[in-house]
Amino acid sequence: MLALVVLTILIDTIPYFLLRSSGPSLFPVVDDPYIWVLGIFVPQGFFLPFTALLISAGSMSEEYEQGTAEVLLAKPVSREEFFFGKFSGGFLLLTMIILLNAILSVTSATLAFGSQLALGVLPIVVVSQIFSSIVFYSIAFMSGELVRRSSLSYVLASAVYCTSEIAGIYLRVINELTGNGFYQQINSYLPTTPVSSLPYLVVGPGLPKEALSVLSFIGSGATETSIPFTIGLILAFALGAIILAALHFRWADVAKRVA
Amino acid sequence: MEVVLSFEEAVKDYGSKKIGPISFSVKQGEVVGLLGPNGSGKSTSIRLALGLSRPSSGTVRTMGLNPIRDHVRALANVGYSPELPNLQTFMSPNELLDLIGRELGLGSGALKEQIPAVLGSVGLSDYQDQKIGKMSKGMVQRLSVAQAMLGSPSLLILDEPMIGIDPAGALHFRSLFRDFAAKGGTIIMSSHIMSEVESLCDSLAVIHSGRLIFRGKIEEFISSSLDTRLVEVEASDPPESLLDAVRKIPGVSAVTRKPLGFTVYVEKGRDVRSEVSRAVVGSGASLLSIGYSRSELDEAYLASIRRSGT
Repeated sequence: MLALVVLTILIDTIPYFLLRSSGPSLFPVVDDPYIWVLGIFVPQGFFLPFTALLISAGSMSEEYEQGTAEVLLAKPVSREEFFFGKFSGGFLLLTMIILLNAILSVTSATLAFGSQLALGVLPIVVVSQIFSSIVFYSIAFMSGELVRRSSLSYVLASAVYCTSEIAGIYLRVINELTGNGFYQQINSYLPTTPVSSLPYLVVGPGLPKEALSVLSFIGSGATETSIPFTIGLILAFALGAIILAALHFRWADVAKRVA
Repeated sequence: MEVVLSFEEAVKDYGSKKIGPISFSVKQGEVVGLLGPNGSGKSTSIRLALGLSRPSSGTVRTMGLNPIRDHVRALANVGYSPELPNLQTFMSPNELLDLIGRELGLGSGALKEQIPAVLGSVGLSDYQDQKIGKMSKGMVQRLSVAQAMLGSPSLLILDEPMIGIDPAGALHFRSLFRDFAAKGGTIIMSSHIMSEVESLCDSLAVIHSGRLIFRGKIEEFISSSLDTRLVEVEASDPPESLLDAVRKIPGVSAVTRKPLGFTVYVEKGRDVRSEVSRAVVGSGASLLSIGYSRSELDEAYLASIRRSGT
């Protein structure tokens, strides 16, 4: 947890001060009052989903590996209480990391580039980031419960993330080259797509064009889908993973220490 | 007396291995030793009782309730100390017991009172704020028993509680468990240390190859398992004539000399201790002690395992 906090601090402070000191040669197109969007949107593609994986992949599996699940579940605690306690505890930590990311980004941008504008959209961006991060959080949580080994769980959940990310890149490229919308349609159903799209979709209309130009510079953006479709897909992935994990946890034995 | 734990034709089928069908019950106030070789089904039975495993068929009732379906109510008065406990290493005993106490629904007042009491009862008062990760194996075992005793359970299930415990600790635990039983508590203790079982338990459940091969009093187990009982006699300089005299006592099948006395092999169903005592005193030797061999339970256990095959 401490490592994640330190990483978040580094990610949200150092880039701004590097840009400030060597910005003009490296980064000529930025508009200073909107540079906060970098710190908010850049982590959306990789850092936040991966943080979600790191937190939740070991959440259940480490309890089995270390044998602590056996002690806790031999107490008068219902399995539902244990399961949702573990799930919500980890998700609370992830939420705090996302909030820390937002606070540090805006603070660093303000300190390095002066007053920041259009911050009124920040709360909805952060809420959408928290909401969308539930996809890989739930997938990794399910993976931890199903395989009950933390290293294997990290590998499986990361494999889902990387495969989806790589497949998305290929599908976008093929779509660009062929102009065949079918590939873009497949891309929109991958788990990484709604995760990276939702914050852009909810905030896009509310950002001035100068801020959007900063975003276009970093090459990120939403896949052309609607907000309800994206929210629905996020819920479908998350609920599917949670239900599978919950069913397995309810029916499977609590094995003796496995590691 | 009320039945606190019962197995009725309970089977746990792991696919490659099957435990059961097992049927036995434990009544309130009993101190039961659960014996059996490694992999025989002791831990599986414990896990079934705690609702950690689901029986493939048959019924398991803990405190009269299904420990899977009515987990919370069935385990409300059950304390469990696992074999080789793995407790949260980043916590201190105080923090762990606070967490577990809250799981048990204990309020702040009760926790303030009970945590120091259970830590004191296992001899860990001086280590309440030390990180568990820095504790020795024996201390973790003590803490495991402490967490099992938190909340004043009426049934204690202990899986190999004496592993890693030093002699002083073992003595302490024996006294702790005896006090618990004296107050009407029920104990089910799995162990490979026969002397501990013999000194603490009043009855046995012996499991071998997934089957219950004995359930009853220790004395019954020994007499039913051994064809010959061993009486150990401690006597100063017993003359050869004494050993000859003892050999002639009806029911004695053999006598062997040992450094501080001799061992008498007695036929099943006979008690020759008083005749042997008289013979020793009559020979002029000093009788220091006489009694059934402490290794009888070991012998009986091994004999019963051999008899039941594999």
